Amino acid sequence: MNRRHFLKKAAAASAMAAVAAMLPGVLFASDIESDHFPPGIDWTKAPCRFCGVGCGILVGVQNGKAVAVKGDPNSSVNKGMLCVKGYHQTMCISSADRLTKALVKKHGKYVETSMEEALDLVAAKMKETIDRHGKDAVAMYTSGQSTIPEGYVASKLMKGAIGTNNLECNARLCMASAVAGFLTTFGADEPMGCYEDIDHANVFILWGNNMAEMHPVLFSRLLDKRLTRKDVSIIDLATRTTRTSKAADKSILFKPQGDLAIANAICYELINNGWVNKSFVEKHVVFRKGKTDIGYGLEDKFAFKDEAQPIDFEQYKSFLEDYRPDKVEALTGVSAGDIKFLASLYGNPNKKVVSFWCMGMNQHTRGTWMNNLVYNIHLLTGKISQPGNGPFSLTGQPSACGTAREVGTFTHKLPKGVVTNKKHRELAAKIWKVPYDRIPDKPTYHATEMFRAVDRGEIKFIWIQATNPLVSLPKTSRYRPGMQKKSCFIVVSDVFPTPTTDVADVILPAAWHIEKSGLYGNSERRTQYWDRMTDAPGEAMPDAWMTIEVARRMGYGDLFPYSKEKHHEEIYNEYRQFHAGKQHNMAPLAILKKRSGVIWPYIEETGKSTLWRYNSKYDPACDPDKDFDFYGNADGKAVIWQRPYEAAPEMPDNEYPFWLNTGRVIEHWHTGSMTRRIPVLHQAVPHAYVELHPDDARQLGIVNGQKVKVISRRGTTILPASINERGLPARGQVFVPFFDEKMLINDVTLDAFCPISKEPDYKKCAVRIEKL
Amino acid sequence: MGRSNVIIGFWIVLLAAAGLIFITSLSEEQSLTGDKAEATGPSGSLPVEEGVFRLSGNAVEFMRLYNSGIQGHMDINGYYSRRAFPGAPPVIPHPVEEFPENMGKYCLQCHGKGGYVAQLSAFAPLTPHADLINCLQCHVPVKTSGTFAASTWIRPAAPETGRQALPGSPPVIPHDLQMRSNCLSCHGGPSAPVEIRVSHPERVNCLQCHVPNEGTSNKNTIWTR
Amino acid sequence: MPVKSYIAFPRVGMKEQLIEVLKKTPHCEVMPALNKDVLVLVTDTADDQEEEALRQILYGIKELAHLNLVSGYSDKINQTDEKSSEHDNE
Repeated sequence: MNRRHFLKKAAAASAMAAVAAMLPGVLFASDIESDHFPPGIDWTKAPCRFCGVGCGILVGVQNGKAVAVKGDPNSSVNKGMLCVKGYHQTMCISSADRLTKALVKKHGKYVETSMEEALDLVAAKMKETIDRHGKDAVAMYTSGQSTIPEGYVASKLMKGAIGTNNLECNARLCMASAVAGFLTTFGADEPMGCYEDIDHANVFILWGNNMAEMHPVLFSRLLDKRLTRKDVSIIDLATRTTRTSKAADKSILFKPQGDLAIANAICYELINNGWVNKSFVEKHVVFRKGKTDIGYGLEDKFAFKDEAQPIDFEQYKSFLEDYRPDKVEALTGVSAGDIKFLASLYGNPNKKVVSFWCMGMNQHTRGTWMNNLVYNIHLLTGKISQPGNGPFSLTGQPSACGTAREVGTFTHKLPKGVVTNKKHRELAAKIWKVPYDRIPDKPTYHATEMFRAVDRGEIKFIWIQATNPLVSLPKTSRYRPGMQKKSCFIVVSDVFPTPTTDVADVILPAAWHIEKSGLYGNSERRTQYWDRMTDAPGEAMPDAWMTIEVARRMGYGDLFPYSKEKHHEEIYNEYRQFHAGKQHNMAPLAILKKRSGVIWPYIEETGKSTLWRYNSKYDPACDPDKDFDFYGNADGKAVIWQRPYEAAPEMPDNEYPFWLNTGRVIEHWHTGSMTRRIPVLHQAVPHAYVELHPDDARQLGIVNGQKVKVISRRGTTILPASINERGLPARGQVFVPFFDEKMLINDVTLDAFCPISKEPDYKKCAVRIEKL
Repeated sequence: MGRSNVIIGFWIVLLAAAGLIFITSLSEEQSLTGDKAEATGPSGSLPVEEGVFRLSGNAVEFMRLYNSGIQGHMDINGYYSRRAFPGAPPVIPHPVEEFPENMGKYCLQCHGKGGYVAQLSAFAPLTPHADLINCLQCHVPVKTSGTFAASTWIRPAAPETGRQALPGSPPVIPHDLQMRSNCLSCHGGPSAPVEIRVSHPERVNCLQCHVPNEGTSNKNTIWTR
Repeated sequence: MPVKSYIAFPRVGMKEQLIEVLKKTPHCEVMPALNKDVLVLVTDTADDQEEEALRQILYGIKELAHLNLVSGYSDKINQTDEKSSEHDNE
């Protein structure tokens, strides 16, 4: 390299450094090309396989194999950045124990079978079960990681073809409370804002979510903003100290379940300090209260239906008297001063505030109430549906929005609306071309109850796709024996062997992510399309095609006339019809193929997306005479719900003195079936552990790395102790990540759930810690 | 010898000027250590990860100093020459008051915030563990160059850098994170060894993409059920 | 002799046009940012006259909103020659 060339390179580097100083996150071609990658690589776009952020990725394919991954600089979600899981996701494909052939259990052993034969068996068994025991004896359990086409054909098969509402998905375990919160407050699901809110906000308040590890790329956008703007701060409100707490400007710790009281206390302060946006509340809000003392779903066949009663502002105000900040200090563990500090941030008309939350609020026995309560704060102050100002419910899985919620793979849902609504059933019947009365009008089982029904012998056939319930359900100590019973024929479609495939009668090998074409929808209502990039090994095929093949064998071929090559496109075009209209229109396929992703509602006339819903400045679906129109509700108004504090079902006592909290770490996704098979991720966190506070550990005589028993009324798990490593629980609390199938913490957890959303609480139960 | 052109590298010191102004103003800036409230006391703290967030406000400034043209940047050989073995506490290469009144304050004046020291023609290295203030417990001065008795000690090799799982993926962290909570101390800023400076010090959630992997043989390389 | 680098900001919505114009401008190498509306420009001219001529061209480009000089290099002849190049800081 001659001197002149060197000088030019150095000069360019200086300038690029200066630009990065001004505009953090900027990417130049030289950052991500040239020396890093060997020549002859084709780069194709896709959404990431993992969390609900929905980063745009570019997968590098060479000679038919995926050899590299980089962030898509054209994606406005991540602007070229990824996290460690995203960068290495394609490496799980080459795992040695990958499922490539169908396996059928014969005389206690798995026998390799041709896919044709296996699908014949699945269809025959499903039909036989329906003939003998009725439609509601068969069930399907899909996933917030299923693609949109996969969710759609499952729904069409179960509800349109067979005529049963026995369809549920693992999103019941992660986002149900968020959905119930949206529906009870706004009458319509999914956030009203988008990620661009991050660019406009002054204050980010995180409610019980470890965003630095769980939505890392979004969190980096927050950190970015804080670096470049003077007036940005991050507040972490959590029960445990994490990376997020360390990065935040202020970390406030609260007692488990205390969040209910904190939110109400903030509303008390807003009202009593005159920080309520009176005209907003008068024009756009109604007040209601529901039932109290609503139970925890611990009993089989637990049923609950809420009853709304209208109240007025004065009643709501006097209800909040019990939540004056000094009165709830003991309950919440938060000082009155800190509660007032939070309230002052929300109440300051010159500060734009975004609240972020995820599993801390959703996986909660009062999860629906918690979602309502944070919406109350934003509705009282009118800080909603505006750039940088509003509540943002973050989604956990890559397509819990796009598939589970928007396609509606739940017992009570249809692609548009709910099974209990006549008009919605009529629309489904029309698009699916099935007789109207075939679609049943009563929901059957939610996820937890579905597996209880398997245990009781009521469900005799279940087909599980793209999820691992025998690691991810609460109280697996009950549901594993339940699934092992002979009374239920179990079919599992997965890419890898898991504890769930271990109990299957038929295992169908699935194609992984880039081995099929598909669509996902992320937290901010962004739908993303991708094309198949590599071939699946052996006889592995996409889940959607398995469902179609089985449906045809059962005699429903006329309802599933899709082609093998293009079924994902044909299905999406059919599905789109359900959402036509200004409130939910999905972009056409041609646009989705071109762009890195498109937010819905997509307005065909302008080619633009509605970024902020319910605000007539940004949302053409609004009544133009109103400034805000919450059109999900018939009267166009949002609801402020009066919701009290109610204790958790199982609290620490003398016998079980610790709170158990569960969650994830950045390196591992959910049950680890993919990420543990990626060497760099496995080597970073090789196994699970139980985090203890050092003072608690000292009292128990436990040192770092020592094996201990975590014991509850439901079971025991043995884990090595972790002290002062990744996270610091408060005294009297422990934390365990749930990715490890050999250290199965869900044997210990409790299957209590929010009676409204039916979502289990994985964050709170009582345990005892014993040295081995 | 006849007339010869003396080639001088830099004549524009736009950035250098800015850099110099920055350095002198650093001493007026708020202390980077200790002002942020400690989340926990001596009975519990997370040593890892928090330091980089504290330094993050200066990440942007550090980048400007890369090309300031001032001599005295550290290189990786110089870095390791101060350490008996990779991971050992570096010796103190300058005269030091051995019984300072307030050790933390004394050392952290220069090593907490960094800055250029003209007398030594060097940038003061930033400590990766500013929360530990009994500095002389581990860091000692060099008073003589010889040995007391002959020794066969050979310094072990430094860890291999740039190990990536896939082409273009973020390199793993080839060293222990214990006592190293400020990634920017060694990977950003003018005192960082030139060879391991990162191109993106403004992205401070480092552990989002880079995970520890010391590559020692006693770690299982592949997970099996 | 001078090698200089700049940060170039296009007028709103004119990033692509600015890139095209600069590609056609002599002595210029342009490196656009992939995800923001900004470019890096490196210029390499033979002597002061070329440098001055280039300067005139650059400041006349209508798609260009701002041009910030970041760094530059030049060979300086030693004292026996009694000649030194003088360039402004911009």
